[in-house]
Formats: sequence, C-alpha cells, structure tokens
Amino acid sequence: MILKTFVIIIEILVSFLFQTTIFSHLKLADVVPDILMITTASLGYIVGKKTGALTGFACGLLLDCTYGTLIGLYALMYTAIGYVCGFANRIYSEEDYTLPLFLIGGSEFAFSFIYYVLFYLLKGDLDFGHFSMRFLFPRVIYTVMVSIIIYRLLNLNTRLFDRIDLGAKKRKGGTTHEYKGLDIFSRQPKQF
Amino acid sequence: MAREKKKVNFSSKLVFTALAMICVGLIVVSYLFPDVLSPVRNAVGNFFAPMQKGITVIGEGISDKLKLFSDKKELIEQNEKLTDELNNLKVEIQRLGQEKSELSFYRELYEYDSVYQNSQKVAARVISRDPNGLCTTFTVDKGADDGITPDMNVVAGGGLVGIVTETGKNWAKIRTIISDDSAISGRFQITSDNCIVRGNTKRMEDGFIDVEMISLNAEVYDNYEVVTSYISDKYLPGILIGYVTNVRKDPSELNKRAYLAPVVDFEHLEAVLIIKAVRENLEGLEE
Repeated sequence: MILKTFVIIIEILVSFLFQTTIFSHLKLADVVPDILMITTASLGYIVGKKTGALTGFACGLLLDCTYGTLIGLYALMYTAIGYVCGFANRIYSEEDYTLPLFLIGGSEFAFSFIYYVLFYLLKGDLDFGHFSMRFLFPRVIYTVMVSIIIYRLLNLNTRLFDRIDLGAKKRKGGTTHEYKGLDIFSRQPKQF
Repeated sequence: MAREKKKVNFSSKLVFTALAMICVGLIVVSYLFPDVLSPVRNAVGNFFAPMQKGITVIGEGISDKLKLFSDKKELIEQNEKLTDELNNLKVEIQRLGQEKSELSFYRELYEYDSVYQNSQKVAARVISRDPNGLCTTFTVDKGADDGITPDMNVVAGGGLVGIVTETGKNWAKIRTIISDDSAISGRFQITSDNCIVRGNTKRMEDGFIDVEMISLNAEVYDNYEVVTSYISDKYLPGILIGYVTNVRKDPSELNKRAYLAPVVDFEHLEAVLIIKAVRENLEGLEE
C-alpha cells in the first residue's frame, strides 16, 4: 500500500515535470497534450474513485502553485474529474485499452469547456467556435493520442506493483485470497 | 459483501467532498489575500526549478536532434536565399556604418539617454512554459539570488518580451506582452503619439496583438515602430515593442486602433535578457 502510494506520487511528479518541460517542445497545432489529465483520469479508472480524486487534487494543486492565478481552481477541476473517472473503475478490465481513451478524451473535453467558461466566457468572449477549433478539439485529440502510450505505461506499472504488494501479503499470510494463475490481475479490489 | 461495498463508496464520497471543500477554501483565501499563499508557491517553485532546468536541457537536445531530420531540400533552398540576403546585407552594413556615425552625433546632440542600453542585464534560460501552450507566462532559471526582482523588464532579440511578475530563490515568472492581462503604455517612435499595447492571445495566432487609444489626429501608418513610452510606470522608456499594421478607426469613433506585430518570436524563445533596473516611482516627481 505504501509502495503503491509512493509509486503514484512519483507518477504525478514525473507527469508534471514532463508536462511543463518536454511536451511544451512537442507542440502540434499550437497545443500541448495534457499529461496531468491523462494521469488523473487513468489512475481514477485503474485504481478507483478515492485515488482518482486524490491524484487530481495533487496534480491540480501543482499546476495552481506554478501557473494558476487562483490557488485551488485547477485542483477543484482535476479532483472532480478524477473522482468521476473513478466510477468507471467498476468496469475496469486490464485488457481494455479503448474505454480509458474515451474517458480521457471526455475528461479533457469537460476540462477545456469549463476552462473556456471560466477564462473566456466570463470575460465576455462569446466566440466558442474559434476557441473550440483552435484550442479545444486539437487539445482533446492530441491528448488522446498521447494517452495511448501513457495509459499503457500507467496500467502496466499499477499491475506490476499490485503483484509485488500481493506477493508481500501472501508471504505474511495476511490474505485469504487464492492465487489462481494470471487470474488475479483481472483485479476486483473489493474482494481482497 | 454488499455492506462493505457501501462503506467504500461512502468513504470515497467523503474524501471527494473534503478535497472539494479544501479547494474552495483555497480559492477563497487566495482571492481575498493573494499574498498569504505566496510562500507556498515559492517553495514549490524552488523545488521544481532545478529539475525543470535539467529536463528542459535534455528536451531541447532531443528537439534539436529531431530538427536534423527535417527536409534537406528546404535547407538547401534556405541556404541559397540566405547567401543572397547576406550579399545584400553586406552592402547594407557599409551604408549603415556611415549612418551610425551620423546617428551617434545626433544622439549626443539630443542627449539621448537610453536607460536600458546602459544598465546591467542578466541572461536567463526559459525552463518551463504555461501548460496551455499559449506562451502567456513562462519561468526562467534566474531568481532573487541573481538580483532579479518583480517589475524588471525582459527583452530578447532587440524587443520587449514582458515583465517579471514573481521571483523565487532560483526562478522568476515572466508575463509576456501577448498575455491578455498585459497592457503597456506605448509611443510611436516617429510621431511621438501615445497608445496602449494590449495583449491578445487569440489574435496572436495570426502573429498580432492590439494597439488601442491612438489619437484620431495621429498620423500613423503601417510598419511604424512602437516603443515603450516615458509615461509608463513599470516599463523603461524606449524599448522596441513591434510594428503596427491595419491602422483603423475605433468603432467608438473617438480614437484609432491597430494591430501590432511584436519583434520577439514568442514561439521559439529559449533565452531572454532581464534588465536589472526598475522604473522608479513617479510619485516623487509631483512634489
């Protein structure tokens, strides 16, 4: 459990660093993919609501502290998105690489839309068509493309550390869960 | 089993509610007292700046490598074009050399005191950018340790980039002139008419920002230079901002407006110069 928390913290830090440095050099159509959104939505989907919300909170807070004008605004949006993606954890399957892409795309769309409302609409800028063609859709598409790779990495990572955690538990004899070959990796966390 | 499930749901709901409430609390606190949380921001900035610097160096290395694969044909064409240009420029330089000596004579005559040319400058590397990719703010690797303070002007490639808004131990945040929050008092170099240069991220996609409040009587035309004005209280006077185009009447019919093409290439900014001189407060002059 501690190991897993540690791994998730590292994942968040790495995504944040990559988001603000390397990916700003890898611009396509003037947009940068939202790595922190991929991390938040993926962890919500892979691990659950609570982790999703906490990850979102951490990611949002990092963004707020470095680039936000109001501390807490990004945090609130990312927390909500992580939490909502956590609902999909009920139908999580390790082999499913399609659903998370839709989740991430949807999250990014929702986030960008709220961003438009808060930062453009409230300033009296009603040109949503321009915003969506130049910012929203390119960003959603680019984020989804990048997430194809990053989601796989996050998923593999989580499964790997699940296995290590489970091994430790078995050695201590702290679990009644039976080892059924590869079956344990199609996890249903609530059964443990 | 069913009960256990319910319990888990409840606690995740609780976590979410608590986090959301913390966020709302933070928003309220940072809105009402913007200075209270700045130590936290400083600490976070100090923690990440060295890592961001390292990764940026690697990232730039990678993108340089990728550029090597870009079209060879393009490079050859460019080479031809540049050779032509170089020949033209050589002639131009000779002509300008003569004009320069003339200019220095006139400068002495007018006691032209260019504050920013004489004051000390610090070179800084851009280490991270606004995550939205709009180039409205970025962070550089020099901070309070190098004597940077907020309100210092930032230039690059002979033009104004923006202004330092926040500094930490080893980083400084810069707001560029294309940011929507930026409004600078400018002046037409040739006619000495004043104007306001206002950032506009949307128009910046076509390479322009706005110039407003030009007097109706001002005789300004395309490609006129705009520099920072003497009446600005944050910007040093006489720094080149850009060139105007599309001068037209404001819908209000009270003044004119125009587009301005900044001289700085914000997309590919990698290093900037921070001028270590802050515009003194003008209040003292009123006495």
